[in-house]
Amino acid sequence: MIQLILSLLVGFVLAVSLYFFARRAKPSAEGSAQQLREARQTLDSLQYGLLPNDLVERIFAREDLEYVFSAAPPDVQSLFLADRKNVALGWVRRVRAAVLELMRFHRGHARLHARLSFSTEIRLALNFAGLLTACRLLQITFYLRGPYAAPGMVRTAAAAASRVCSISENSLAFLNVKGVDPLNSGAARHRA
Amino acid sequence: MWILSQVVAYLALLIEVVILVRAIQSKNFAKYSMFYAYLLTVLVTSVFLQIAKPTLSGPVYAVLYWRLELVTVALGCGVIVEISGRVFARHLSLDRFVKWVAIITFGAIFLVFAIHVAFLPHWKPVANPAELELDLRIAQAIALLSIVSLTGYYGFEIGKNMKGLILGFGVYVGASIISLTLRLFIGIQFSPVWKIIVPLSYVAALLLWTVALWSYEPARAPASPPEPTDVDYRGLAGRTRQALGSIQEQLDRTPDR
Repeated sequence: MIQLILSLLVGFVLAVSLYFFARRAKPSAEGSAQQLREARQTLDSLQYGLLPNDLVERIFAREDLEYVFSAAPPDVQSLFLADRKNVALGWVRRVRAAVLELMRFHRGHARLHARLSFSTEIRLALNFAGLLTACRLLQITFYLRGPYAAPGMVRTAAAAASRVCSISENSLAFLNVKGVDPLNSGAARHRA
Repeated sequence: MWILSQVVAYLALLIEVVILVRAIQSKNFAKYSMFYAYLLTVLVTSVFLQIAKPTLSGPVYAVLYWRLELVTVALGCGVIVEISGRVFARHLSLDRFVKWVAIITFGAIFLVFAIHVAFLPHWKPVANPAELELDLRIAQAIALLSIVSLTGYYGFEIGKNMKGLILGFGVYVGASIISLTLRLFIGIQFSPVWKIIVPLSYVAALLLWTVALWSYEPARAPASPPEPTDVDYRGLAGRTRQALGSIQEQLDRTPDR
């Protein structure tokens, strides 16, 4: 029976893979101006829009919760919690989408190299998957237990995403004119 | 049912001839030599079986059929190696990975086969050719899945020829796996359906190959900036790995609150 299930599973997986393989859109040209511009925009959005410490601190500020719980009536408290939950969910969703976009860029960039190290690529794929899973866990935690359920994890995920940004920034460094790098000075301003 | 299977068999022969003639006409034979050798072998064995069928007894024909089938399955493995070599022509490490996957899978199948022969004196391989074919088809499917997954993951552009070869081969291998499995488990009642499904999927594969290989169209070289060096790649991968490693470490250390 196990052999039956495994064989049918292989046949089924092959059929599904072929379906998506047949429908696969033509990949955009590697290193095309549009792709690079999109990667740069994603990076900027992460670095300056989603990850600055003050923004993260603001969204998940415990003082706000304490203030509302000490000063506001119960209906305002629940309204506040629902609102913060939506903001937190939106934040983690956008961080995850941006990390996905950067991962796509890394793959697009890596395929230019004739001698890819397969073991390295496997490890990288697993690491990206780990970060994406962490974002997904945060989403579930926020959804089930509210925005203040995992503050440590929020900080860690934000720090992790910041590091991904710096990796991608190195990959995109050639887009900056040597000597004139307004983005870096912007980054310095935004980083706490 | 008999008439339908005969029609399908003759249709397959006709399409095989069309593909081979077109390959000679457009001088494509040498470009995909393993694939055309496979197709030529299938054509010759099919014609031979059609001619021999009326003169042979049922059991003799069955033994002959399965032996020739195993020869074509083995050649089909060569086609997958050719596909991998073409698709990953610019990425030797990925090509090597697919070949290793194929070698390990085939090695495991032949190891199990050898163990059966060595330790089970009553086990006769000739009595279970369908089982052996199923195992080989699964190995082909795993190798094809590796190719499809890797091209999807990196977004490699694949030419029309290779896309058609992969799709055609995949359709035939997938249909063979499902129908052989059901035939082994349901038994003789499934045979009439099996005798239709496998030839029909093969005709579908032949049609895909006819369209895909009508003219030579390799994958275009990517219109990219000058190719980065190995040092660039090591830098890119090293930076990514290092940073992601520390990210993972931090995630692991996250205190539960």
